[in-house]
This record gives sequence, C-alpha cells and structure tokens, in this order.
Amino acid sequence: MIRLLMPVFFILLAVAYLVFTFQLPESQIGNPNGPRYFPALIGFFLLLISIIYCIQEWKQRKEELEEVKQLFTGRTPYLIGSTLVLILIYTFLFERIGFLYSTILFLGGLLFVVNGRKKWLINIVVAVIFSFVSWYSFSELLQVSLP
Amino acid sequence: MGVDFQNVIEGLMVSIRPLNLLWVLIGGFLGTVVGMLPGLGPATAVAVLIPITFGMDPTSALILMAAIYYGAMYGGSRSSILLNTPGDGSAIAATFDGYPMSQKGQAGQALTISAIASLIGGLFAIVGFVLLAKPLASFALRFGPAEYFMLMLFTLSAIVSLSKGNMVKGFIAMSIGLILSTVGIDLQTGVHRFTFDIPQLSEGIDFLVVIIGVYAVGEVLYNFIGIDSLGSGKKKVGKKWITKEQWQQSKWPMIRSGPMGFLIGVLPGAGGSIASMLSYTTERQLSKNPERFGKGAVEGVAAPESANNAASVGAFIPLLTMGIPGSGTTAVILGAVIMLGLRPGPLLFENSPDMVWTLVNSMFIGNIMLVIMNILMVGLLVRILDTPPKVLYPLILVLAFIGTYTLSYSMVDFYILVIFGLIGLAMKLLNFPIAPLILAVIVGSDMEQNFRKSVVSHDNYLNIFFASSVSTTLTIMTILSVLYPFFLGWLQKRKQKQA
Repeated sequence: MIRLLMPVFFILLAVAYLVFTFQLPESQIGNPNGPRYFPALIGFFLLLISIIYCIQEWKQRKEELEEVKQLFTGRTPYLIGSTLVLILIYTFLFERIGFLYSTILFLGGLLFVVNGRKKWLINIVVAVIFSFVSWYSFSELLQVSLP
Repeated sequence: MGVDFQNVIEGLMVSIRPLNLLWVLIGGFLGTVVGMLPGLGPATAVAVLIPITFGMDPTSALILMAAIYYGAMYGGSRSSILLNTPGDGSAIAATFDGYPMSQKGQAGQALTISAIASLIGGLFAIVGFVLLAKPLASFALRFGPAEYFMLMLFTLSAIVSLSKGNMVKGFIAMSIGLILSTVGIDLQTGVHRFTFDIPQLSEGIDFLVVIIGVYAVGEVLYNFIGIDSLGSGKKKVGKKWITKEQWQQSKWPMIRSGPMGFLIGVLPGAGGSIASMLSYTTERQLSKNPERFGKGAVEGVAAPESANNAASVGAFIPLLTMGIPGSGTTAVILGAVIMLGLRPGPLLFENSPDMVWTLVNSMFIGNIMLVIMNILMVGLLVRILDTPPKVLYPLILVLAFIGTYTLSYSMVDFYILVIFGLIGLAMKLLNFPIAPLILAVIVGSDMEQNFRKSVVSHDNYLNIFFASSVSTTLTIMTILSVLYPFFLGWLQKRKQKQA
C-alpha cells in the first residue's frame, strides 16, 4: 500500500494548486483572468496524470519497492542523515564565523563521516587545502564577496 | 548555403586567444574529472561548476561550459570502461564492450579508441553545425508566440516520451517543473502568485538553485547508496596504442556513427543516450560477426563513443538557434547563460555571430585538446580515478553550496538547495526522470508568456495549435511523440505473438 503514497501526494498537490490558482486576485491590467490560465491548465493536467499514476501503482500494489529499500541498508541512512545534520550546522555557521572556517568544518566533518575516521590525516589536509583554495579563487580571483 | 565563412574565420581568431584556450583546457579537464566519477554525468559537472563562470564575459562562459560538457562526456566513458559504472545514460553503451575490453587487459586501447572515436564524432558534428545552424536560425526568426509555445510543448513531450521508464512519471516531473516556474510575481500583470507572503519567493524560485540541488546534491546523496561497495579503479591499463587491425575494425563504425549521432542530438529530447544506443545496435546488425559484440569488440566502443559526442555538439543547435534546450545538460547550460544576461535564440546569430562562431571553433579546438589530453595522460587520469569517490563526493557537495551562495548571497537558498537535493534523491529512488523537471523549470515562464500572447492574438483557444503550418506540424509531432511509446509497445506485443 505504501506505493499509493506518492500518487495520493501528487493528487493532493494538484488539488491544492488548483484551489490556490482560483483564489488568485484578479488582475487590474489586461485580462482579469490572465494570471490564472496557465496554472489552471497545469493543475488539471497534473491531476489527470496523477490519477493515471495512482491506477498504475494500484495494479502493482503487491510488488515491493526495491530501490527505496536500499535507502535503509548498510551505512546509507547514517551517511545521508549525518550529511543533512552537517548541512544544517553549516547553514547556521556560514555567515557567523565566515566562509573559510565554516567550510573547513563542514568539509572536514563530511570527510570524517564519508571517508572514515581512520583516514583522518587525508581528511584534514583535503578539508583545509580545498577550503582555502576555493576561498582564494572565489574571493580573490573571481572577486565574489564571501562572508 | 547560408554559411558565412568570414564569421567562421573571425570566430577562429577569437577562440585561439590564449585566455579562451586556457578556458577550454580548464573546462575540459574539470569536466573530465567530474565526468569520471562513477554515477555523475555531464549535467552534474556543468551544474556544480557554474559559479566559475560568474563575472566572465558571456563568450568565455559559453566556451568554458561547452568544454566542461564535452570534457564530462570524455570522462564518462572512462568510468564506463574501467569501472563498468556509467555516469549517465549516454555512457551506458560504452560499458557493453568497453568493460569486457578492460577485463581482457585492453583498457588502454579501449580508452584510446574511445578518445579517437569521440574526436571523429565531434568533428563530424561541428561540420554539421556550421552547415545547419544558420539556416535553422533564419527559419526560427519567423516564429511567433504560438509557434514558440508549440515548440516548447513538443520539446517537453519528446523529452518525456524518450526518457527511459515511465511516461506518466515523466509528465508528473514536467508538471512539477511548470508549477515551480509559476511561483513569483506574474510578469504581465504584477499579481503575486503562490508566494504565500514569503518575500524571497516573490522573485520566483531561482532555477539554478533547483538545478544545483537536483543534479549536484541529489546525485551525491543518491551515490552514497552503495558507496562502500564501489570497486577501486586500480586496473592494469595495458597498451595504449591501438593495433592496425583494431583501427580497421572501428574506422567505418566511427565514421557512420558521427553524422547519425549529430542528427539525433539536434532533435529535442533525444540526445546522447539514444544516439549511442542506436549506433551500437546498428553496428551490431551491420557486423559480419555480431557474436563478438558484448565480449570486448573494439567497434562496440568506437561506434557509441563517436555517436554520443556528435550528439552533444548537435544538442547545441536547438539551444543556440531557438533558445530551446533539447536535453538535461543543455538545459543547465541555458540556465547558466540566462544568468549571464544572454538570450540564446535566432537573434543571437544576427546580433552576435562572433559569439556563436567562436564557440563552434573552440569546440573544434577543445575536442582535439581533449584527445591529446586523454591519450597522453591516460596514466594520470586513471590515477585520478583512484582518488576515492569518498573524498570527491564531499567536495562536490561543498561546491554546490558555494555555487548557490554566489547566486544571490542569501541563506534562504541553502534551504531551497537542500529541499531540491532531497527531491532529486527521491526522484532517483522512485525512477522519476529528472530532465523533464529541469527543462520545465527553465522554459516554463517563457512558455506561459508565449501561451498568453498567442491566446490574445487568436480569439479562439484552439487556434494556437493551428495558427500556421509550423504550429500545425508541431502539434502533430507532439501528438506523435506522446503516442510513440504506445505504438512501440503494441509492435512488441505483436512480435511476441508471432514468435
């Protein structure tokens, strides 16, 4: 039954999108309905195609989703979970402690998670050098202002 | 013929300026490195390297991105041949005989033949480009809003029906892309649409963030699955130089596949994957001993490599002449080019022919450079492949964040980036094709404008489908492209019944 989750989600999305489309304010310029036509077309199309998707998935409801299962095997949940946590920390630190230091921490953390603790020396060297080189090339060579 | 040789020569002069040569070299090299990573293809390479082009003049930026693109095509075949892990659809065919060759200890020869084949395919395609681009641009000059709308609709439906797997999922991905393109202030009336009073959304969702999120963050997260079981690239490369016999065997397949790949590349939606598959099966059918295929036949590497490189050059034609990208990677390039304030389309050939011809010439030079680089540095490149992906994937993630930050200097984009990374991951897991989403996000807003303009100029809605002979043709082609998979399925069923 888990297969029906996605189609139902898309059907709800299409309905919500259509509701918002018809609630759009009328335009003061030109055709008052101008801003609505195109979204309405897409909304109805998505609704139609999601219903077809739902029927398709219903026919295969007994088959398992092999690919999704991979997500929960081995180190994968740990890798993806830690990456997301590190991204949140990076986002928090980025403008507070500046590009260079936050990137060293972020990249170093990622390398420790993905590449493993045993290779700590490579991890630290790569994190520092890569962060410095990218900081130098963006802010000095390409003149992009980084925090 | 419509070919302006003076412009071609002028373009050549600009493209051999030292700085432009340097960009070709850097782009080709970086593209090769990212393309070599197992699981990552040209679209990711271009997406993650977009920030390098900021602040560059548009011509150099185009040169650099094109170089990254074909560099990644070269690199993609490296990981196909050595590791049996293609970076994207267009590199799959290279694994059929490339990997068996490297198991037989002929990896070096397989790499050499793939480089030579890519060069030959690329050269055919560049000649084709010179002949075809200008006439096509002049033709596209006559397109009005109705024709453009239909052209976009056709491109989207073609990319959906040709993308492997489920058409329904392709259309869903396309609809989501179109929905995203409607967020923000409506260009014609100033009405805020779907912004939910979030000020950052009023300018719309930046399609480059979507691109980097799906192609860089999403792909890297997806590649975390099974990262521990990735084989090491340590392989005996063996002899580099191909034998006379191998050359004889692959000469004609390469020459045949070039023009074919080019024409397929020009078609919207088709591109490298179909070109390489089609040329592989064609060569197998033409071969006197087809049983050699799949067991390390050298022409089984040569043909698809020639075809997919030709297709990647061909894909620039709809992009530059009509402003319509025909594939995921060219859509990414279009997104980056728009950021730089450039609008590809028929007027580009009128207003800045120098730019177009500089690009074409630099593709010519870049292809030659890449072959030299790939043959002479086989050893070095293989050693880069030894750099564990476990180090390179984190670097790509960091590049994705830097790129996103340089787009708008806004932290909100970091969240949007992660959300689209997760959407990309989910799409890969559930087998949703990504190209229709990316294409729709980029052309969606134009499509709507053209739709509304053509509705205004034709009283009856249905008229926009038949406004001119061009629209009518495009309408018929759109319907055919949607029906084509059903027709194919019906044919197969009939075949099975007969058998």
